[in-house]
Amino acid sequence: MLGGLITSRVRFVVVGGLAAAAHGSSRVTNDLDICYDALDGDNLVALTGLLASWKAYPRGVETGLPFIMDDCTLRGAPILTLTSTEGDIDVMDRIAGVGPYSDVRKHSEKVTALGVSFRVLDLPSLIKAKRAAGRPRDFEHLPELEALLALSKRKSAT
Amino acid sequence: MTARQFAVASAADIKWIMNSAALLRRRLRYNASEARWWGFVRLLTEAIGLPLKTAAATATASLTVTRSSVPVTVSADPSHSASIVVDFARYQSIFLGNLSRALVHETPKRRGRPPRLVAGRHALSSANRYGVDLGLIQSALARTPAQRLAMLEANSLFLREMRRKPR
Repeated sequence: MLGGLITSRVRFVVVGGLAAAAHGSSRVTNDLDICYDALDGDNLVALTGLLASWKAYPRGVETGLPFIMDDCTLRGAPILTLTSTEGDIDVMDRIAGVGPYSDVRKHSEKVTALGVSFRVLDLPSLIKAKRAAGRPRDFEHLPELEALLALSKRKSAT
Repeated sequence: MTARQFAVASAADIKWIMNSAALLRRRLRYNASEARWWGFVRLLTEAIGLPLKTAAATATASLTVTRSSVPVTVSADPSHSASIVVDFARYQSIFLGNLSRALVHETPKRRGRPPRLVAGRHALSSANRYGVDLGLIQSALARTPAQRLAMLEANSLFLREMRRKPR
């Protein structure tokens, strides 16, 4: 999925479980969460075109209903939780506790992995996002992320 | 579906829904078909500026009749000089997106005060008490992000295979 997003020149930052794993979290995640640049019309067209080619459809709802995956739909529903031929993907125009894409990008760092280079949300912002989301599953993840932050700070200090 | 999930699925403020339900004398039921109806009423009042009662009548008429994939005129004056055209497929797409978000993403928040932010040595002891394997974190930190993500991919693949194959 990451390769497809980069090839399609989508402007995005990886957030959520994959970003946590990049920072050292041992939790296994199967979906990709991204924050995209919603102010750039070309970016919306590129992202929705790619999602349409992956036959993306909303997760957890009745299947087989008409669903148009294009930039107009993304403008109407800027946060989408989707399932696709490539796997589950959540696309968000903003991250609770951090802000819109411009703020998310400011608090991100570049990572080269899985054969591609992309940006991931930094650990302090990831913790802020988890706290702001406020769901039990987010709070369950907090002790590990806070320990990761403490240990990585200690490691960089030595 | 909780009130918050209902509001997200309808793309409307819950207070607005409650006040409008009182004005329309409509009983609130937090389910997907009601969310679709309220979302459509909200769209007609906000985007088109229809009065609430007219929007409610138009929503009822269009959502019970319209299943078309092409835009349909749901309301027009006798001379057809002014009309309301509904692209049902488009509205359905946006609604499904919002409904999915409500059900998957906007799950109920934890009640009560959030736990205090812990940092430094306290973060480690707190994580240890919680049951986090600090050794696992230290070994993860010794790896590069590329190695960590390669390991995540391998673990994820293993889990998928485990789920696929019957025991």
